[in-house]
Amino acid sequence: MEDQAASRESLGVESASKFPPPRSSSSGHRIPEGEPAQRQWSGDYGLSAGDRRFAFSRQSSFRQSFHRSQSDPQTPVSSQGNHSFRPYLSRSDSSISIPPWEIDGYGVGYSKFSLKGDGEGHQKLTVLQLMLSLVGAIRSGNRPMKRLALMISLNVAYSTAELLIGVLTGRVGLVSDAFHLTFGCGLLTFSLFSMAASRRKPDEVYTYGYKRLEVLSAFTNALFLLFMSFSLAVEALHAFIQDESEHKHYLIVSAVTNLLVNLLGVWFFRAYARVNIVYRKAEDMNYHSVCLHVLSDSIRSAGLILASWFLTLGVENAEVLCLGLVSVAVFMVVLPLFKATGGILLQMAPANVSPSAFSKCWRQVTALEDVSEVSQARFWELVPGHAIGSLLIQVKRGANDGPILHYVHGLYHDLGVQDLTVQMEYT
Amino acid sequence: MESPNSRSSQIIDVSVDVPGGVSGLDGNKICGGTTCRLSDSRTSSKDAKERSASMRKLLIAVFLCVIFMSIEVVGGIKANSLAILTDAAHLLSDVAAFAISLFSLWASGWEATPRQSYGFFRIEILGALVSIQLIWLLAGILVYEAIARLIHKTGDVQGVLMFAVAAFGLVVNIIMAVLLGHDHGHGGHDHGHHHDDHSHDHEHNVEHGHSHGISVTKHHSGNSKHKEECEPLLEHAESTSSQSACLKETKKKQRNVNVHSAYLHVLGDSIQSIGVMIGGAIIWYKPAWKVIDLVCTLVFSVIVLITTIKMLRNILEVLMESTPREIDATRLEKGLCELDSVVAIHELHVWAITVGKVLLACHVTITREADADTVLDKVIGYIKREFNISHVTIQIERQ
Repeated sequence: MEDQAASRESLGVESASKFPPPRSSSSGHRIPEGEPAQRQWSGDYGLSAGDRRFAFSRQSSFRQSFHRSQSDPQTPVSSQGNHSFRPYLSRSDSSISIPPWEIDGYGVGYSKFSLKGDGEGHQKLTVLQLMLSLVGAIRSGNRPMKRLALMISLNVAYSTAELLIGVLTGRVGLVSDAFHLTFGCGLLTFSLFSMAASRRKPDEVYTYGYKRLEVLSAFTNALFLLFMSFSLAVEALHAFIQDESEHKHYLIVSAVTNLLVNLLGVWFFRAYARVNIVYRKAEDMNYHSVCLHVLSDSIRSAGLILASWFLTLGVENAEVLCLGLVSVAVFMVVLPLFKATGGILLQMAPANVSPSAFSKCWRQVTALEDVSEVSQARFWELVPGHAIGSLLIQVKRGANDGPILHYVHGLYHDLGVQDLTVQMEYT
Repeated sequence: MESPNSRSSQIIDVSVDVPGGVSGLDGNKICGGTTCRLSDSRTSSKDAKERSASMRKLLIAVFLCVIFMSIEVVGGIKANSLAILTDAAHLLSDVAAFAISLFSLWASGWEATPRQSYGFFRIEILGALVSIQLIWLLAGILVYEAIARLIHKTGDVQGVLMFAVAAFGLVVNIIMAVLLGHDHGHGGHDHGHHHDDHSHDHEHNVEHGHSHGISVTKHHSGNSKHKEECEPLLEHAESTSSQSACLKETKKKQRNVNVHSAYLHVLGDSIQSIGVMIGGAIIWYKPAWKVIDLVCTLVFSVIVLITTIKMLRNILEVLMESTPREIDATRLEKGLCELDSVVAIHELHVWAITVGKVLLACHVTITREADADTVLDKVIGYIKREFNISHVTIQIERQ
């Protein structure tokens, strides 16, 4: 690759400085001068504005801002431009540089809102405090939060109504549906809470901040959806064994209402209605999980309606078929999200950086004169987009550690590893 | 060196620790050599022993559960009773929870790969999280069943049958709980193992050359259950390493996360069985008071949820990469700043991979003239001594 050749040359030729010019300083803003040629950046996935894997690409306002950002080198862009290259996941990719449709509610709310707890450690908040802070958070939250709050309240109202009607009229089907909805509401409330709580600043106990909560809530949502698909499969098996298609017609009304409410939710989060999404920040996972949740609920309701329609048509085993189909569909839809969130929680290496990029950095560090060995290189992701790593370097005695540190940090910063701890040992 | 067993069967080993300065290439920085991964040979053998003991327990529990479940299924089909079949389904969920715990235990022993650079220890935590979610789900299902029982007109619900089935389930669950929670029975074997491990500890101390003086450790085989008594012969300020080694062993008596979550599952089930028994007894006695059954179930479900909260909090803290409870970050920072040549500490992060395995990363700013090597040595030694964190990455920066 060109840059490697260039760096080797500079190593040989220049005796004054032992290192190739750093690609980006630790502040991450400067565009390095004298970049010889366009660089093939192996960590980039070569996406452009029209790429539909991005959640935001459907928003027309994003396309405008993207074209604007082509001329403005401060916002992160993909590497196909002809201007000097900037790393995609850089420190300047903060919440300020997000596309406009989020800045509306988000930018304003962000500075205003802060939960009172700072540095209190493991203090327990009372329930009342939690509720009050939640209400305050929703009011100052961004648009997805408000929409989620609206959806949750709709669902809660609907499920309590269903529960009451079911208990009073003695219909078990309504009660089971109400329970299912209540579980879902509880999960959505946890998602909402994590959206609010993840904006807290890092404190002493949670030194990395609270952003992991979003990944956690996405994981819990995905887990619940997997449980739901298993239970639907069990229900299908049950219907198959029992072979009695006693059909409960009153469930149709509830299924239709459920479908409508959930389709409204899907419309709210329509930017995330995909199975495979590239996650750029923590909220992406949370929104995606909420969208998949309402999507699966609507698939389930649609399946129930379909089953009853088939039954009236006289198709045998319609319930089994439809329930089985729904179960398989939900499972396939949720599995990528589950794997991605599980990977982050298991501290896997960052998903958007290929292993060859890491080994290339390894080789570049080992190629330095004073470095004899690099070991214990560990990388993990706190949330999508924020990678953290640690490294152990054996250096010859008497070598100047400042420039080496600087170089290694710059190297890994380009990959997107923002927080790197390098331990240098002298042999 | 061990003296032969005396009348009170004490095993005494005396080891002399070489004073510091013998660091050589190893020193204290590269723990166990250049191949130090998160589990070097010493800790991995301890881990493996603990893991196989836990796996054995869980395997026995699964086996028993499957036997009881098949008894119930056969009985339920013969008697054509939905209640018995429902209880069999609950036992099936127990089996599922045990299976999750077994899988997590087995998976956490896998070797680290480049993609999973910290090893697979986190799988334990995720498995425990899934287990607890299952408990919550089951509590919800039981409440739903209670409401369904309420709705169905009288005549469907037989108090006697409910009571009998719940009693049987309770007995099964209590056997399981005793099996999973029982730590004392293997005291004899454990002491044997601890003897090996303790001598390894002393070897390690010799390598690292940190502790001074002679420490005598007596192992009382048989009687003392939870504490090893370590009496340093010479009261030396630096002998805290042997004390911390002893601390490690008393802490090891903490149950493994997965066994603990399976235990919680079984405990929750037995609490629910008690609730159903009370409900069945009430319905048997006075079939008109069906609402009490629902109230009972609700109360007991809430109790079950409360038992899971402590474990859930621990899991959440690990998953959020927060500072573990036993480490006081302010004291750590202050202590590090007080070391000479250290100007400032920043970006201090302490987090746990799983309960018990703690890592630390920080940036230390030192004065311009100081020797980075000695400062690194001191910092790592301090952290290891005071807080017993052995996997540490320190970045030394000059002012």
